[in-house]
Amino acid sequence: METHITNLVNDKVSKIKNMRNIFDSGKVIRIKDYIVEVSGLENAMYFEKVIIMQKGMGYVNAIYENSVSVAIVKEYAKIEKGDVVNLTGEKFRAIISNDSMGRIIDIFGVDQLSGKPFENFKYIDIERPNVPIIDRTAVCRPLLTGIAGIDLIYPIGKGQRQLIIGDKKTGKTQIALDTIVNQKQVSGENGQVICIYIAVGKTKKEIKTIYNELLKRNALSYTMMVVATNDDKPPVLSLIPYVGLSIAEEYMMQKKDVLVVIDDLKRHAEIYREISLVSNKTPGREAYPADIFYTHSRLLEKGCQHKNGGSITILPIVETKGGDITDYISTNIISITDGQIVLSNKAFLKGQKPAIDYGVSVSRLGGAVQTKQIKKMGAQIRLKLLNYLETKEVYELANIDEMGAELRAKLNEGRNIENLLKQNKFEPLTTEEMLERFKDFCQ
Amino acid sequence: MEGNKVGTIIGISDLNVKILLNTDDVKINDILYYRDEANRLIRRFEIVEIDSNIAFAIPFESVYGLKKGVELELIEGGLKIQYSDEILGKMFNSYGDLIDGNKIKVYKRKNVYEKKLSIKDININGDILWTGIKVIDFFAPLQKGYKMGLLGGAGVGKTVLIKELINNIYKRFSSNAIFVGVGERSREGQELYAEMIQSNLLDKMSMVFGQMGDSSCSRSKAIYSGLTLAEYLRDEKNQDVLLFIDNIYRFVQAKSEISTELKRIPIENGYPTTMVSDINEIEERINSTENGSITSFQAIYIPADDINDDAVQAIMTHLDGQIVLDRKIAEKGLYPAINVFKSTSKAIDPQRIGPKHYELLQQVLKYLTRYEELEEIIAVLGIDELSDSDKNVFYRSRKLRNYFTQPLFVSENYTGKAGKMVSIIDTLKDVEDILNGAYDQVDESSLLYRGSLNER
Repeated sequence: METHITNLVNDKVSKIKNMRNIFDSGKVIRIKDYIVEVSGLENAMYFEKVIIMQKGMGYVNAIYENSVSVAIVKEYAKIEKGDVVNLTGEKFRAIISNDSMGRIIDIFGVDQLSGKPFENFKYIDIERPNVPIIDRTAVCRPLLTGIAGIDLIYPIGKGQRQLIIGDKKTGKTQIALDTIVNQKQVSGENGQVICIYIAVGKTKKEIKTIYNELLKRNALSYTMMVVATNDDKPPVLSLIPYVGLSIAEEYMMQKKDVLVVIDDLKRHAEIYREISLVSNKTPGREAYPADIFYTHSRLLEKGCQHKNGGSITILPIVETKGGDITDYISTNIISITDGQIVLSNKAFLKGQKPAIDYGVSVSRLGGAVQTKQIKKMGAQIRLKLLNYLETKEVYELANIDEMGAELRAKLNEGRNIENLLKQNKFEPLTTEEMLERFKDFCQ
Repeated sequence: MEGNKVGTIIGISDLNVKILLNTDDVKINDILYYRDEANRLIRRFEIVEIDSNIAFAIPFESVYGLKKGVELELIEGGLKIQYSDEILGKMFNSYGDLIDGNKIKVYKRKNVYEKKLSIKDININGDILWTGIKVIDFFAPLQKGYKMGLLGGAGVGKTVLIKELINNIYKRFSSNAIFVGVGERSREGQELYAEMIQSNLLDKMSMVFGQMGDSSCSRSKAIYSGLTLAEYLRDEKNQDVLLFIDNIYRFVQAKSEISTELKRIPIENGYPTTMVSDINEIEERINSTENGSITSFQAIYIPADDINDDAVQAIMTHLDGQIVLDRKIAEKGLYPAINVFKSTSKAIDPQRIGPKHYELLQQVLKYLTRYEELEEIIAVLGIDELSDSDKNVFYRSRKLRNYFTQPLFVSENYTGKAGKMVSIIDTLKDVEDILNGAYDQVDESSLLYRGSLNER
């Protein structure tokens, strides 16, 4: 009799042990798209990785008195009410490989080109604390794009965050790709610049096209693509830029210069809004949640010049509608970045490529990140160009033959500068070529 | 430490933890914390809502990895900041912790939510404070003890102007200053710190930063800590203090983020229900007394370029003057990109600035208003159709517009031109000359980015 009871108890104990711990296991009680509520899981920590048995994976995104909320990142089979969910005891982290260079990778350690998991992998935190003010130094080294309209007029420095903004089909991604390709010939004091292209919700076809362009131009030896495609779960899409920056931070701490392209943040904002609304958060302006600014500000603040010598330069891309850069998300991001390159549809259609709108584009660091010669030339060209654009507007209807000689010369000169700034894609100019091309306009 | 446990965490979200209290001694704005095994302070929570034995608190640090069941202890007296003469030259975070690697040796501590000033304490007298920036001195002159707002959308030059004001006013008057960075770029924080060291001014300024990479809680507290330091200099050291806040809109924004997480009902555009009272609470603390003055410069971000935004309007109620930066002017390459029609100051009064300045100001505004109308006419008819007197208005206005651009000290690196300060006497003379036609024969672009016109 005694043995029977002992057996029963032992049996029960081992059953509990098999389920690990009753506190570490729970059941799905509510499903709302990709956010599920799980009962139990008393021991859950915020942002812990959880496994939905045989069906998927997620992370804890809120903890309540009697249940937790889980955001699903992988779903192999349809998750249903009553499915068992286990805690893993570890934070949700991304899996990446040291063999990622030249590859298209996701956050689960799978090589998207072969479809196979990487053999040599490691875990990295999705998000780390930002570099404090005291560990930063001035942004003052140029990051050359090979595009005269940028390097001369609105330059980018290593550690700068420069927004590329414009309507669909105005060449936003192209400017980023030109910049990546140009890094091949301009490696600086920290050696080859490492490039990371982050795709947020691009189509598979677009990603493959970009990959082929980079392959064709031998840029893959120093570039990796970190992607979440349109059919990934929204929580994955919202995390992907942070993972890309986390990888960049690893390189920066090894004193490397890193260039990160995020394509694009408008789409990221929309996905974040969707998740927030599905999670019942109160909508604010344009139905975006109140923390949409912080979502992007803490991401872009990762761009910096570290005092150890390494740096992260970020080129976020934002798509606009009807050329309006004063909408909510665009102005938010403009107020975070250190400047913006605005691309205009009108200029694009007129054949001005790159279609930079020189009136509204800005670089807040300007001359501080240019070499002495380029700075001197850039300042003169910019002033002449802006002066021309403004004068042109006022005198648009005036008869050119009746103008004073001085005015006519000014308009002609401006038009020449505008023409010389035209450049085809993947045809970068070196600093010397730029100095040569514009030497007639400078004293 | 055993026995001081006042509550247990029972719920966690991004910006909000739910706590089961086991005592009645916990009050709003109290701080609860817990230590890890190594006995280091690791996480702090400020109580914002109490409902019988349940409390809601906002975390100072990140909640990643936090679990239910954690027991919390109480810090007496709420959020406090250290202060003494040693605050000058130091950099703090929003919670009053030093973040520049320094230590303050001798200090007192003070709660950051200070009591209110009464009407009898307020002093409203003060002299005009010339900045040496032509367009500000002419259109919106400052006065000691004023609150000046610098309004502008994204990327039109608010921070540059704040830095130029620090440079000019501060170098000339050598008052001590407090700089509060709220929700702006860490890069700018670094630059400011480096510039202060470089120009040997660091020992005259304290800085408090809750920048845009920091949590909502941090960004909502920076202003309180900064104000407490400014009040210390005013009340205990009897000083005239300069207070720079970049950017006060971010304070409201951070409060919205927290309010949403607390599931409070929002007003328009997701702003918190208590927005106006939050703003009133801090703005009423920025004042001058018999002991000393606080002159403040507050950068105000205009979200989505909408100047009628509720938060912006609520802040503007408190201002004595405003400088509005305009994207359309920046697009023309005219910096500082100040919209002179919208910029104004309570000091514009013939009694204060003198009849000559006042008269010239009225005349310039008349010219520039007419110029805007003429621009529309020209767009249709061309310039030649204008009458001679309108032509004069047109060309002289363009010259005035160019004259009011100015090379700034802080953008020397960007423009490659040395910064200039111009006295109000020179500005008035130049404006008078332009209006009288003394420069009619001069090419308008030669008036761009000059100091005063009599210096070559």
